[in-house]
Amino acid sequence: MLADSSSRGNKTKGGMEVNSMVFNILLTGVGGEGVLFTSVIVARAANLEGYEVRGTQLHGLAQRGGQIPTHLRIGKEVYSPTIPRGEADLILGLEPVEAARECYFASKKRTCFVVDTYPIVPVYTRLLKEKYPGMDEIRRFISGFAKNAVYVNASNICAERFGDPIYGNTMAVGVAVSRGMLPLRKKSLIEALKETAGKRELENDIKALRMGFEYKE
Amino acid sequence: MKNPDVLEGAGKKVVLLGNEAIARGALEAGVGFSACYPGTPSSEVGMTLASVAKKAGFYFEWSTNEKVAFEACAGAAFSGVRALTAMKHFGLNVASDSVFPVAYVGVRAGLVINVADDPFGHSSGQSEEDARRFARIGNIPMLEPSNTQECKDFTRTAFEISEKYEIPVFLRTTTMVSHSVGTVRLGHVKKPKTKGNFVKDFERYYCIRPVLQKMHERILEKVEKIEREYNRLNRIEGNRKSRTGILASGVSYQYARELGLKNVKIGKLGLTFPISRKFVSEFIRDLKVLIVLEELEPIVEDFVRAVAKDVNPKLKIYGKDILPRVSEYSTELIRESIAPILRIKKPDFRKQDIQLKKMKLPTRKAVLCPGCPHRSTFYAVKKVLGENVVWAGDIGCYILGIFEPFKMQDFVISMGSSIGITHGIKKVSRQKAVVFIGDSTFFHAGMAGLANMKYNDPNVLVVVMDNNITAMTGHQPHPGTAFGPAGEPKQPIKIEDVVRSFGIKNIKIANAFSQKELQAAVRELDKKPGISVLISRGMCRLLLKKILKRKGQRFPVFEINPAERRRLDVLDKFACPAILKRKGKYHINPDMCWGCSVCSQIAPPGAIKPKGAWK
Repeated sequence: MLADSSSRGNKTKGGMEVNSMVFNILLTGVGGEGVLFTSVIVARAANLEGYEVRGTQLHGLAQRGGQIPTHLRIGKEVYSPTIPRGEADLILGLEPVEAARECYFASKKRTCFVVDTYPIVPVYTRLLKEKYPGMDEIRRFISGFAKNAVYVNASNICAERFGDPIYGNTMAVGVAVSRGMLPLRKKSLIEALKETAGKRELENDIKALRMGFEYKE
Repeated sequence: MKNPDVLEGAGKKVVLLGNEAIARGALEAGVGFSACYPGTPSSEVGMTLASVAKKAGFYFEWSTNEKVAFEACAGAAFSGVRALTAMKHFGLNVASDSVFPVAYVGVRAGLVINVADDPFGHSSGQSEEDARRFARIGNIPMLEPSNTQECKDFTRTAFEISEKYEIPVFLRTTTMVSHSVGTVRLGHVKKPKTKGNFVKDFERYYCIRPVLQKMHERILEKVEKIEREYNRLNRIEGNRKSRTGILASGVSYQYARELGLKNVKIGKLGLTFPISRKFVSEFIRDLKVLIVLEELEPIVEDFVRAVAKDVNPKLKIYGKDILPRVSEYSTELIRESIAPILRIKKPDFRKQDIQLKKMKLPTRKAVLCPGCPHRSTFYAVKKVLGENVVWAGDIGCYILGIFEPFKMQDFVISMGSSIGITHGIKKVSRQKAVVFIGDSTFFHAGMAGLANMKYNDPNVLVVVMDNNITAMTGHQPHPGTAFGPAGEPKQPIKIEDVVRSFGIKNIKIANAFSQKELQAAVRELDKKPGISVLISRGMCRLLLKKILKRKGQRFPVFEINPAERRRLDVLDKFACPAILKRKGKYHINPDMCWGCSVCSQIAPPGAIKPKGAWK
């Protein structure tokens, strides 16, 4: 399903060849939002479809409110575990400011964004007298780096539906798939969820994924 | 999250974390014994082995510290059982005292030490040390995988080398290998041998001269043989006729491949101690230009420079003159550094740089969890003793007390060092000093310092922040925990019993979630001369959350009285991430409140109550 787009696969004059058949996904959010869980789902789904997978999972601060950008790269042959600058194909941000923070890896001609608009204001914003930007400001900023961007209040929708915002991550993945921003089959993602989610959460996770598939702005 | 992949059948392709792949490699090598002390980025090796030990039929334990863990593994390997330990770089500093002599005497079954470096310090403070130096100090072979597949395969090879040459073997990773994920093709899991016997052998274990010199000779011979036999772990790729070469190992090799360079000969080192002189000689013989890619210290580079003097003195070698010795490498950094030499084009990001600077994003640093007992302890101690105190820090979640608003970790050096360093400060200074040390850290390396402190008796308050678990690395048990690695019940050692046995009289145990108890204890101990110990006890809230979740229960949620929202500035000194301030009014985010109730204790009476109190 990975197409060799015209913007990639070009050889530069100096004899460099951009790694052409790799799809780069950057998942980000705040510790406790389920970024690592999401990355496992996507990685397993890609594995089920026979792709080679590489990426990073930096665990150190995963549960302590820190930011956790997680890289996933799928294709036929992948080398670096990290996405080179400007080469993200999808940035899936479970928190809006964290999505904006990863624009370093984005480029206007290549990158799609799916952003959960549920803000988690760092406690330091108040202590350091900083400002948490408004959604309009974040959208404007991201648009400078995005080929396309979808904003969905997935955590809120899931909090209303399941009494817990935690399923927002799975819903956001569903949105990315239905918009053609993540080239994986729905079936593989459901299969990956079954392999990964705990008994207690699986039912809601599958519902949240389907809500993502059917989501309309 | 279920994670069954590590036990999947042979031939299957699965996505594993580097650390999981190391655990799988150990299973395929028939590991019979494993003991570890957790330390990011190595923790998941032990966690994975712990989770499958019973099913796969081998022994696993979380030991008190890395030295003890290594020694236990050495004992198993002396007795003919294959053993693996995994630790972070600083863990090897602790273990090294035993590692070097064990290499001298040798082992009877494979003994593998995974040491995980953390350049950049993703999850470590203290230093960016390069564990490759240890291999050279101890003449201990070292393998360096560059991706998850190699994590698994090299672990197997490390066991093979170790057993064949009766020598412990290092498997050295870095964060970007340990914590990378990737597709791994699995091999066969070997049924473990878990029982053996120690065979007495005077000549073998008696490391005193003149046997010592024989041992030294023997280890040098082993290393020489391994250099020859395992040259197959090194390989040449790319354009073999090119006069331009790149020599790389670890994740740097993957970055080099990512660049997709044409007309370059690439040498990949899998065995980085001993480095094969033959391999390097052949690789550089016909080159005009060589670039050495290695993070941190110029170890391969120095070796290559020495070889080049004999083999190819005109060779132009680039290494740490164009790339930094600090932090980690990346594809971009390497491209930037080698572009002028290889005359390659680099993408132009000037426009993006300007754009990126336009947006000022709020700082997000790691923070103590909502409901964390450490936050409550920090608050109470500062409330009673004020600001003018030397706050000794240590390694654990409480290191996050370094940030605002607490700033109560004036120095953080190494596991257990809070006690030793404060002892020195107190012997030369009249300043008031408080030590903060966690329960796991106390058992790891705090006890020896405390014994010394008691014997030499300075006037100090030691606060043991006992949250019943090794929390920062993902909830591993320690000798004070009532359960073992598989959740089985254990008889815990009480910290107060240890402290009392040293003859320390001023001991108080307080509920970490009760400001009243904590503050009263600090006030009382502050008046006592000599050494006092406060044990602030409260389970890690994140662990309690997991336990409640298993039972289908939730924390109670607290709420602020709508009439009181404006006069709660005291909450800024507490800095709970569940408490927000919007337009001058304080709110508690119900999705984030973990019901510790401490905010309700520090706020004016009646301002904060369990949810529903004002309906």
